[in-house]
Amino acid sequence: MPWGLHTKDTPGQGRILIVDDEDDIRKVLRLTLTKAGYDVVEADHGGKGIEAIGADDNALMVDVIICDIRMPKINGVEAITFFQRQYPSVPVIVLTGYPDQKMATELLNRGVYDYLVKPVDQDKLLESIAEAMAHRLALKHDH
Amino acid sequence: MRVDLARSTIRVIILGAGKGGTALLELFTRSPDVEVVGMADLNPDAPGLRLAKNLGIPTTTDALALIAERRADLIVDVTGDPKLGAQLVQHKPPRAEILGGKAALLIWKLAQHEQDLRDQLIQAAKLACIGTLASGIAHEINNPLYTITGLSEHLREETRPEVIRDFVEDIIKSGRRIADIVQDLNAFARRSHREEQCNVNLNHTLDEAVKMAARRATMVDQIKVVTQYGDVPPVRGNADELLQVFVNLVTNAVQAMEGQGTLTLSTSSANGFVFTTIKDTGPGIPYNNLNQIFDPFFTTKEQGKGTGLGLHIVRDIVIQHGGRVTVDSTLGQGATFTVKLPVLQIP
Repeated sequence: MPWGLHTKDTPGQGRILIVDDEDDIRKVLRLTLTKAGYDVVEADHGGKGIEAIGADDNALMVDVIICDIRMPKINGVEAITFFQRQYPSVPVIVLTGYPDQKMATELLNRGVYDYLVKPVDQDKLLESIAEAMAHRLALKHDH
Repeated sequence: MRVDLARSTIRVIILGAGKGGTALLELFTRSPDVEVVGMADLNPDAPGLRLAKNLGIPTTTDALALIAERRADLIVDVTGDPKLGAQLVQHKPPRAEILGGKAALLIWKLAQHEQDLRDQLIQAAKLACIGTLASGIAHEINNPLYTITGLSEHLREETRPEVIRDFVEDIIKSGRRIADIVQDLNAFARRSHREEQCNVNLNHTLDEAVKMAARRATMVDQIKVVTQYGDVPPVRGNADELLQVFVNLVTNAVQAMEGQGTLTLSTSSANGFVFTTIKDTGPGIPYNNLNQIFDPFFTTKEQGKGTGLGLHIVRDIVIQHGGRVTVDSTLGQGATFTVKLPVLQIP
């Protein structure tokens, strides 16, 4: 079952899961992404993100995940490990306020699609998401 | 394993409580291996006598009676009185040495010089500590900064008044958050003056240190801070220097735990001392390093994460406040630093 939940075509531009513990950050991302035509699902920590992506099989299909690193409870690294194992076709973009070169290298080596640092330029963020989305669609069509 | 930093002490009597005597008293009371056992001056209102009384040191106007009563290894005479000098030679106990005249002046000059160097070293260590804190703080600012830049971009196109108001509120909130973070660092970076002695409540100092050095860790990592504060009397000292001590110890504890663990801070008092412990659940300190951790430039941290000055200055500041710092650590079971400071209040 390589694609699990992600077999149905996603409405609109695609659906993005935002995992970040800060309300304000999620608000900015939600505004930016919905304006760009994306559908947004939010989670305020890694555990919720895992719950969200696994909830309601048919309704929820996530095309791209934007994930913070330093979060309480289940942190970003743990959540990303889970996402990559369970949903290898869904690109993960890291968006962190605490850049760490070692961590960035490690995560990129592990197949994270992009590593962005807050405060990220909105255009750069949208560009990265568009690329990740195209990558995701290409993978979908391959199968 | 316990490392005690106590050393054998030299018992000193200071004769003369004017400017020179006061400076020596200050130096000796901060020195780890010197105990001032008495001070005398013909003028009962001499400034040095007042300070000595506050420090609990016996004072008198009768120098000869003092040297007869109090066993001393060294009598430092900065009275400049040749008559007293001659009497001292006659009346001093056989095992006591006398330091007077130019020799005493020389000691005083060296004391001043040492003090200047010490101030510079403390400042250097503080700057290094600020460097570490600043890189953390720069990151801490990124989140609210992103809220500000992100919402501002949306504001450009927004026309609905209620939405604009909502965005502006969030922007103000984020700006204030950044201001708070910067203000904490500024308060710490302020250059301290060693003359600024006051009564310091160590419970407050610990709270400040946690705010500065562990806030991020408690907010986003799995680090829990447990406080077990006793109702402790204030200690006499330099508030900035004592804050530096605890910022250093808390920073080390947080770094040692690498994102996961419990930091336990406690205070208690007994026998005229306040005891403060900073306990982490990190990997502990290897036995071979225990004797070195207070040495200058000893560090096990990665390049750029530590200078090896922190604990050296911690010990220096604590000793100069008349206290002691000890460490207990078992490999695999964390480390506990205990700072013991005397309760000495300004009347």
